[in-house]
Amino acid sequence: MKLFSAAALSVALLLGSTVSSLAVERGGVMTYGRYADSLFLDPVLNDANVDIWILSNMYDTLLLPTDDGKGVQPGLASDYKLADDGLSVTLTLRDGIKFSDGSPITPDDVIFSLGRASTPDNGIWGFLISSIAGIESPDAKTVVIKLNRPDPAIIPALSVFNTAIMPKAAFEAAAGTTDTEKAEAFSAKPVGSGPFVLESWERGTLMKLVKNPHYWDMGEDGQPLPYLDGVTFEIIPDDATRILRLQSGELDGAEFIPFARVAELQAADGIAMELYPSTKVNYITFNVRPQIEGKDNPLSNAKVREALNYATNKEAIIQIVTQGVGTPMTSFMSAATPLQSGKAPLYPYDLDKAKALMAEAGFADGFSTSILALAGNQDDAGITTALQQMWAAVGVKLEIKQVDNATRTAQYRAGTFEMRTAAWTDDIADPSEITSYFAYSPTIDALHSGWKNEEADKLFEASQSETDAAKRAEQYARIQDIFNAEGPTLPLFETPYPVALSKKVQGFSQIPLGNNIFRAAWLEK
Amino acid sequence: MPLSEFIARRLLQLIPTLIFILIVVFVLVRLLPGDPTSAILGDRGTDADIDRINRQLGIDRSIPVQFWLFVKSVFTADLGNSIVLKRPVTELIVQRLPVTVALTALAALIALCLAVPLAFVAALRRDQLADNAIRGGFQIGLSMPVFYLGLILLTVFGAKLHWFPVGGYGETFLDRLYHLILPATTLALSLSAVLMRNLRAAIIGVVDAEYVSFARAKGLAPRLILIRHVLRNALISTVTLFGLSIGTLLGGAVITETVFAIPGAGRLMIDSIYGRDYPVVQGLTLALAVLVSITFLLTDLLQAWLDPRVAR
Amino acid sequence: MAAARVRLPRPLILGGAILGVSMILAIFPSAFAPYDPIAFDYGALSQAPSLAHPFGTDNFGRDVLSRIIHAYRIDMQIAIFATVFAFVFGTIVGAVVGYVGGRTEALFGRLVDAIITFPFLVLVIAIVSVLGPGLINMYIAVSVVGWVFYARIIAAEIKVQKRLDYADAGRAMGYTHLRIIFRHLLPNAITPAVVYWMTDMALAILLGSSLGYLGLGAQPPAAEWGVQIADGKNFMTTAWWISVFPGIFIILTGLGFSLLGDGLAEVMRARK
Repeated sequence: MKLFSAAALSVALLLGSTVSSLAVERGGVMTYGRYADSLFLDPVLNDANVDIWILSNMYDTLLLPTDDGKGVQPGLASDYKLADDGLSVTLTLRDGIKFSDGSPITPDDVIFSLGRASTPDNGIWGFLISSIAGIESPDAKTVVIKLNRPDPAIIPALSVFNTAIMPKAAFEAAAGTTDTEKAEAFSAKPVGSGPFVLESWERGTLMKLVKNPHYWDMGEDGQPLPYLDGVTFEIIPDDATRILRLQSGELDGAEFIPFARVAELQAADGIAMELYPSTKVNYITFNVRPQIEGKDNPLSNAKVREALNYATNKEAIIQIVTQGVGTPMTSFMSAATPLQSGKAPLYPYDLDKAKALMAEAGFADGFSTSILALAGNQDDAGITTALQQMWAAVGVKLEIKQVDNATRTAQYRAGTFEMRTAAWTDDIADPSEITSYFAYSPTIDALHSGWKNEEADKLFEASQSETDAAKRAEQYARIQDIFNAEGPTLPLFETPYPVALSKKVQGFSQIPLGNNIFRAAWLEK
Repeated sequence: MPLSEFIARRLLQLIPTLIFILIVVFVLVRLLPGDPTSAILGDRGTDADIDRINRQLGIDRSIPVQFWLFVKSVFTADLGNSIVLKRPVTELIVQRLPVTVALTALAALIALCLAVPLAFVAALRRDQLADNAIRGGFQIGLSMPVFYLGLILLTVFGAKLHWFPVGGYGETFLDRLYHLILPATTLALSLSAVLMRNLRAAIIGVVDAEYVSFARAKGLAPRLILIRHVLRNALISTVTLFGLSIGTLLGGAVITETVFAIPGAGRLMIDSIYGRDYPVVQGLTLALAVLVSITFLLTDLLQAWLDPRVAR
Repeated sequence: MAAARVRLPRPLILGGAILGVSMILAIFPSAFAPYDPIAFDYGALSQAPSLAHPFGTDNFGRDVLSRIIHAYRIDMQIAIFATVFAFVFGTIVGAVVGYVGGRTEALFGRLVDAIITFPFLVLVIAIVSVLGPGLINMYIAVSVVGWVFYARIIAAEIKVQKRLDYADAGRAMGYTHLRIIFRHLLPNAITPAVVYWMTDMALAILLGSSLGYLGLGAQPPAAEWGVQIADGKNFMTTAWWISVFPGIFIILTGLGFSLLGDGLAEVMRARK
């Protein structure tokens, strides 16, 4: 039985926070520079990180991710209990919780929100809660989620953006007939359950969030969170301008600092250059089908892939592309992902071994191939140019094709690419999401690579309803061993989230899943 | 032909042009690899997800059917909804296009104010120090990539001297104008260099031509010659060039808008092409085309006024 | 027409010299570049200018000077191929249309309007996306639009010229229309187009740089000034030499084209 008491946790939190020496100061609006604007701020129907990473400021989930991104803590629900048979979760809602318009958050809202999120036709995130069979409410404070199978990932899933709680009445009152139309109308003037609420939004320029006066959580001073009166997002796509604006004091924070500028900002006065730990992995995907558009494909040979892995000097790439900020990968999933089992960096640079493997595979003289890079992306240009140079040593002639995202995705989905650059960030504090995309072939053909491993597929299916934590860890260790040894990728490096803040900013964080957390942020006067 | 008839005829001529543009842009955006859904979802969506969402958006229908629906919607002044931003295209155009128009107009004004007087100085002091200095200066301005020049202006006049804001776009009219000065200057420099060179060459050509010598011989005062003959004649090709350049400026303000974080139509256009947001690309192309056509009309009127022979 | 000895104007000599040297560097880059322009040197990442590397090294440890020299080949190509077809074709069409006038001119006007009102970047990005990235597709995209500018400039000039006395004289003497257009009117009308062409070549290098910045121009590892500037953009505060030196060469080459343009204009005026 797993019972977490909210009281015990909040004591722990309180103890943790009293250690900080500064007394919080309330008020003020924090201005944060983003590289791109959000597209669609609906918890269920969104589909991009630009939405996901700020949604949690507007909509709370029943449970919240912990700051290290590996676990969960109580959110709108003060208690949660997974049944012994693993087939239901019982949650207790907090007393007196309200939406930003002052109306109470009831079990009806929870049933509506989770029901909407798990409807297969709504958006692309339903798979995270595919185990939900039904939701019931025995009394005005309790919600019981019935599962169709034991699901070890259900608890973290209840802290993911798509299970956020929305007001049923207000949503249904929105204009439109379909769910999509209602979501579009509702998101223009939303009522939320998170610490902030959308006030105004000028697309491509400015998004203003203001404090939700009815938010449930308390700050260190015993008053309701958030400390800030509001958060303003400014959209500044150009890296240099975003930094310049921070330096001139017009912004309090700026995301996606290019790695080339990190050292300089670390040394700058009045600026705190943060490198938040992340679940971001950067890698190359190989197409491993025996033939690509009728031509024999050397990459279908696992030895060739191994050779390319050994021929890649990852330390050098980390220096060139991330200016030493990145770290080598020890498994296909990031070190911050739960159940990651990697120990040592994968495929340390070994040119002799690479040459031997190429000869063994029958490609002693090398071959010609190509890689898709994202046009205009300096990191991609750096990575692919480096690979081009490094692989020349084993006779591989690499053509770089810079294309836009839609073209790349079209070739990726059609299986006509040879290689491509790629990056991944987890959305849930569980290894199942990344594994289903990378190693479990039924989802998207293992990153559309055409790779398939029966054992990995079986292990993943078993792990999806494995309630014994130790057994599940073993299954994941084995999947990682298989994938890391012969999988369709070339792991490059892990990178943190580079965020530059004014020294005035306290209590802000970006968790490893990418969510920007403003609920406890405050500004020193 | 009276002026009103001239204008009416030009506006009528606009219709086939716009239809041609609509067909080309409609086909062109659909020739682009990929579709809006996979552009947004990128690596995450499964094939089933993407097909389902495409069906919901109605972009799985055949191109002729889509084109018919599109033409119908144009006649009802409804350009559809953005696939990516989920807002009406007309609303986006109304938000974004004026920004770019203001930026371009200000840039054009700055370019003219720089180019015309300096072209005269350069032409009349041909090959002297002033001429060489002016041409050298413009050459440097012309040769600087916009993202480079913009960054230098932002660093010096924004971050260091605090004369202007570092990028962004204000909230009131005057504030916005103030925000637009640096980006407009950036955009203006290359245009003013082109105009200055052309105008200088034209002035020299006119000054050397026989009819000015003839005017001089007739005993007209030098200043009168300058204004009546030289400026008028020299401006003919410059006005053509100016009109043509406005179109390029309008469509090409993308990088300026990116560097200075200005939410203009150029950026929306690029984002929409990359995002395969067909309705926005179509609507914006149409709106830009109308605007550019109006600019051309004005240019032609100006030219007719400068040189009545052209209008005949 | 003055039969006197033609003295070459100074701008022509200076511009010609700059471009002459440019052409030599473009044809024989390896003879002048001290290093391999694409070879990495991990021991010398982002090094400041020194005796060994007069313009420093970039973030891959590649010698910036050697890359600049090798970039001459691509950038001179861009300057010429992105404009020459537009210039020739645009001039011919513009001359004929301006001379004939009437319905042809009206029809031409519609075509020009349609092409010019079409947002340029949409066309370039669309063509490059459909055909694939690279320089040749960029030339195609730029030329499809570019010729119109020359045509309009020439047409406007020809319309003025053909009403002057000497055109009537030509007609009175029974010359063919083609002869009047290309032997008599065009030489008098072409000056602004040539001047514009020279500017256009410098602009083409810049456009190549903007497209390189968007990843649509020259593909790595090829060295191209615009791409070099874009590559160094993030290092402006820490390693300015990566983008500043290529920028200087863009300016220098642009200056060469401009001087040549002015010089040519002078020569043509002198011959009138």
